[in-house]
Amino acid sequence: MIRRLMLGALAACLFALPVPVSAGLPTEQLRSAIDRVVKTLDNPALKGEARVAERRAAVRKIANDIFDFPEIARRSLGRHWAGKTDAEHEEFVGLFADLLERSYIAKIDTYGGEKITYTSERAEGDISVVGTKIISKSGTEVPVDYRMLKKGDRWLVYDVSIEGVSLVSNYRTQFNKIIQTSSYAELIKKMKSKQQGEFTVEEKPAAKPKTQ
Amino acid sequence: MKRSALDVAVGVFLLVGILALGWLSMRLGRVEFFSAPGYVVVADFPSVGGLKAGSAVEIAGVEIGRVDAITLSDYQARVTMSIRRDVQLQEDAIASIKTRGLIGEKFIKINPGGSEKLIKPNGKITEVEPPVDIEELISKYVFGKV
Repeated sequence: MIRRLMLGALAACLFALPVPVSAGLPTEQLRSAIDRVVKTLDNPALKGEARVAERRAAVRKIANDIFDFPEIARRSLGRHWAGKTDAEHEEFVGLFADLLERSYIAKIDTYGGEKITYTSERAEGDISVVGTKIISKSGTEVPVDYRMLKKGDRWLVYDVSIEGVSLVSNYRTQFNKIIQTSSYAELIKKMKSKQQGEFTVEEKPAAKPKTQ
Repeated sequence: MKRSALDVAVGVFLLVGILALGWLSMRLGRVEFFSAPGYVVVADFPSVGGLKAGSAVEIAGVEIGRVDAITLSDYQARVTMSIRRDVQLQEDAIASIKTRGLIGEKFIKINPGGSEKLIKPNGKITEVEPPVDIEELISKYVFGKV
């Protein structure tokens, strides 16, 4: 009888023990997306210089599933988002997604077997913060926090903090500076020229005779 | 008769002196009894590293409030601040703890957002950035981890 009671108490204790990493829905969804990215990068069929475009397209597809680009763009533009037309919003979201792709997906390409651990999850209403750590081969730990927003039954990332520095905050400051010192049109022009700078290197000489 | 008039004068002088001293200490100590302190918002930071009650809250370098208190809540630092009534904060405003200069005092910088929803009095700023610990960063990337 006493033994049974003790066993019951032990079981109760086990169930009551706080799980160190609460594998909530946001963590699960993020983990599945990151696992897919890692798998894509490790895929021998997609390795090598010749497959860069293919590999990036695959990564971007996964990124679209877990990142809420319109939300990231809206938050990054901050005060200047309001008062723009839907068409302008759409144009900005497209340009911004390209900008992020150029700056980050290219970096993801250099992935070389770093370990990713999921350290914490804090939820508050519709917002959840999933803490992760990227551990390099030399043992350097870089904390990366994903802030996620609930959209239906999906949790989508709307901000990423690396070493506590927020992506949205960084872009918001930069965009605000450009808009205040010149204009919104100037910002769009800048983003467009950056976008073209990468793809239309061969087209430039062809366009030259036109202007002359 | 004459003597009591002198007494009254001294008394009044002393009283005025004490009041002036009180006013001075209130000004220097930044104690606000009379002016409306504004509305209160809170924000939870993973770390506040050196922020203190009385630290400034700024937007674009302009002081819009002060830190009232810093308490521990669920192993995070909960910063309670009062914001001037004429300043509205959007729901997606980002509160970051910054350092003045390289080794100066800490303050909270608010990066205003674009959301139509505003943070109500006693509301919470959900988007936060903890201070960057430069020392820790340097040691991490210079020496690596064990």
